[in-house]
Amino acid sequence: MFRLAWRQLLLDPARTLLTALAIGAVVTVILVLSGFEQGQYYQLKQAVLDRKADLIALQSGVANLLAARSSLPQLTRIYVEDIPGVKIAHPMTALPVMYQKGGHKMPIYLMVYDTRGGPVKVIDGKAKQKGNDIIIDSSIANKLNVKVGDDFIISDFTFKVSGITEGAAALFTAMAFITYDGMIDLFLESEIAPDISTFPLLSFLLVDLKKGADREQVRRSIENAVPAVDVYTPEALAKNGANLGKEILGPVMGLLVNVGYIIGLLVITLISSAEARHRLRGFGVMKALGFSHAKLVLALGQQIVLLLLIALPIGFLMALVLASIFNTTVPLYIVRITEPIVLGQTLIGTALFAMVGALIPLRMIRRADPMIAFQEA
Amino acid sequence: MLRWAWQSLISKRVSFWSSALGVASAFILVMFFDAVFRGEAKQIVAYLVQAKPSVWVMQSGVSNMHMSSSFIWDWKADRIRQMSEVERVTPILYLNSVVRTGGKDWFSYIVGLESDSQGRAVARHIAAGRGMPNPGEVVIPDVIGKLTNIGVGDYVFLTDKKLKVVGISEGMFSMANPVFFVAFSDLDDILSSSGTYSYLLVDARPGVDARQLADKIMNEVEKVNALPHDAFVKSDFAMALKMGVEIISIMTIIGSTLAALLVGFTSYTQVMSKRRDLGIAKAVGIPRRAIYGAVIFQSLCITGLGFMMAALFAFLVMPYIHTLLPQITLVVSPAQVGKVGLVAIPVAFLGALIPGYLVMRLDPALVFHN
Repeated sequence: MFRLAWRQLLLDPARTLLTALAIGAVVTVILVLSGFEQGQYYQLKQAVLDRKADLIALQSGVANLLAARSSLPQLTRIYVEDIPGVKIAHPMTALPVMYQKGGHKMPIYLMVYDTRGGPVKVIDGKAKQKGNDIIIDSSIANKLNVKVGDDFIISDFTFKVSGITEGAAALFTAMAFITYDGMIDLFLESEIAPDISTFPLLSFLLVDLKKGADREQVRRSIENAVPAVDVYTPEALAKNGANLGKEILGPVMGLLVNVGYIIGLLVITLISSAEARHRLRGFGVMKALGFSHAKLVLALGQQIVLLLLIALPIGFLMALVLASIFNTTVPLYIVRITEPIVLGQTLIGTALFAMVGALIPLRMIRRADPMIAFQEA
Repeated sequence: MLRWAWQSLISKRVSFWSSALGVASAFILVMFFDAVFRGEAKQIVAYLVQAKPSVWVMQSGVSNMHMSSSFIWDWKADRIRQMSEVERVTPILYLNSVVRTGGKDWFSYIVGLESDSQGRAVARHIAAGRGMPNPGEVVIPDVIGKLTNIGVGDYVFLTDKKLKVVGISEGMFSMANPVFFVAFSDLDDILSSSGTYSYLLVDARPGVDARQLADKIMNEVEKVNALPHDAFVKSDFAMALKMGVEIISIMTIIGSTLAALLVGFTSYTQVMSKRRDLGIAKAVGIPRRAIYGAVIFQSLCITGLGFMMAALFAFLVMPYIHTLLPQITLVVSPAQVGKVGLVAIPVAFLGALIPGYLVMRLDPALVFHN
C-alpha cells in the first residue's frame, strides 16, 4: 500500500509539488508564529544573561531587569562589596527614554554601565566608549538609518554614535549603551529631569564573586545584610523576564498559533478531499478487487503522511529563510524557529491535523462504487 | 468560457467552499495581526481618552505617555493655574513598571492621584469599590481581577510596597499596559520625585480653544510641552500602532503567499480534472486568451469568496473574541480589510500562474485520446 501511495504521488509531480508547497506554507506560518513568540522570550532572557554577572542585585521588591523601575541608594555598592565572597559589584542604570528622528519616535532602554554590562556584540564602530559616546542596537540603526559617527539626540543632549551592537533588544524595545560620564552630562545639560533625584542613578549591581565562593550563600548574605536589595542569579532573573513576556504575549500569540493550526487543518482537509475525489475511480477498482474499506483509508492516510514528509522540510526551509529575513531586516524582534519547543509543538500539531484531515474523506471513500471499475473511463 | 469556468467551479461545491475557506483563514491571519495591534493601541490610550482634559502638559521633549517618562516642577503647575483661560489643573505622577498580583507580573502604567484632585483623573467606570485610592491602596483593572482572582480587600505589590485593592476599574486593561491607580504620595515615595509631577491635565474655561491654550502654555511656561487632548491621544495611538508595523507587513506577505498557494492548488486541481474539456475548447478553436481568462476567473472567484468570508469573520466575530479572552481586544479597521482586499487581487493572479501555464501547454489532440 505504501508503494501505491508513493507511486500516486509520482504520477503527477506538479500536483505533488504544489500540494507539498501548500502544506509547507502552513508549516512555515506555524513555525514563524511560534518562533516569533519564543524569540521574544529569548530576548528577555538574553537581556539579563548578556550582562555577565554571577549575581544581580535590584531594588527590594523588583524582580525584573527590564520593564521595572529599580532604584538603589548610592551607598549600596559599598555595602554589597563588603559581603564576604563578593569580589566586585559593577553599577548599572536603566533609563527608558524616547528617541525621535525625522518625525519617527522610538522607545529606547538607555543602559548606563561602567565596568560591566555593556554591549556584547559590537558589529560596527568601536566597543570602548567614553564621554558622550553611545552604542546603539542595530534595530535602531536599521529603522532610523543611523550610522557610526552620527549625532544621536536624546532630550536635547547630543550623543555621538560610536558603535552599533547586535541582539540588544527586548520587549519590542531596543537598547542603547552609554557610560556614567554620558549619563551625568545628559542629566545636567538636557531637559530629561528638572530634579535629578527623580531618575535612578543606580538601578542594578552586577556582582562578581570571589573564586570558590558559594553563590547561593553569598546571595542570601547580601539580602540579609542589605535590606534595600533583592539578589537574583542571572538565570532566575532571566526566567522572571521570560515569564513577564509570557504574561504579555502568551494569550495573543497562543491565539495566533491556534489560528495557524486551524488553517493547517483546513488545508489538509482540502487536500485529502481533493485526493480522495481524484482517486475515486481507483478506489472503486480497488474495492472491486476485494480491498477492504480500512485498506483504502490506510492508502490515503499513507499518501498524506508521505506528503507531510515532503512538506515538512520545505516548510522548515521556508521558515528558516523567512526568519533570517525577519532577523536581518527587523532585528528588534527575533524569530527562533530552531527552539526545540517550537519544532516539537509544530511537529506534533502537524501530525495531529494531518490525522484528522486524513479521516475527513472517509465517507467519500465508503461511497466509492465498485461498479465504477466495470464502466468505461 | 466564463460560464463554463463558473459551472465547473460550482460543480465541485465542497472543493470550492473548502478552498475559499482555506484562503479566508490565511487572510484572517493577516487581519488578525492588525486587529491585535489596533486593539492594543486603543486600550493603551483608553486612560487618556477617558481623562479628556483640554490640554496635556509634560516635560519638554516628551510628547507621549506610552513608554515615556516625564517630570516637571510643581511651580509650573501653579503658573498654568493662574492663567485666565484655565479652569483647573490636575497633576498626576506616572510610572511604567511591574506590578505583582496573584503570583503574576504585569508590565503596567501606574498613575499617582492627588487626594485633592476631586476624582478628576480617576478611572471613570468603577465595577466594584471606589475609584480614589488613599495611601497604601490601589485600584486595579477588572481584567486583572478576573485573571488572577483578585478582588477588593486583596493585595498587590509594587516594588516593596504592599497595596490594598479598594477598587476595580473597567476598560483600563491592555496586554502591554494595564492601568493601576495609587495614591500620589505612594508613587512620590517610589520615584523620590518630591516637588515634581509627571503630567498636568489642564481643563480650559468654556469657549477657550485648546490649541491656543496649549500654545500659550508653551510660550509662557519654560521648558514644557503642551498638547491639545486630541493631538496627544493621536500621538500615543500612532506610537503604539507603529510598534507593530513591521510584524503586520511581514505577516501580510506570509498570509498572502499562503493564500496564493491555496488558490494555485485549487485552480490546478480544477484544470487537471477538466483537462479534456479544455482540450476540446482548444480543438474547436476557442482562443488561448479566453481559456486562460477562464482559469484566472476561477482563481478570482475562489480568492474573492475567501476574502469575503475573511471580511465577514473580521467584522462579525473578531470584536467578540474579547468575551472569550478578556485580555485581548481586537479592533477591525475597514481600511486594513480594504488593503487585504487589494492584496487579494495579485494573490488571485499568482494563484492562476501554474494552472495557466498548464492550460497553455495543453495539447488539443488530447480530445482524441481515449
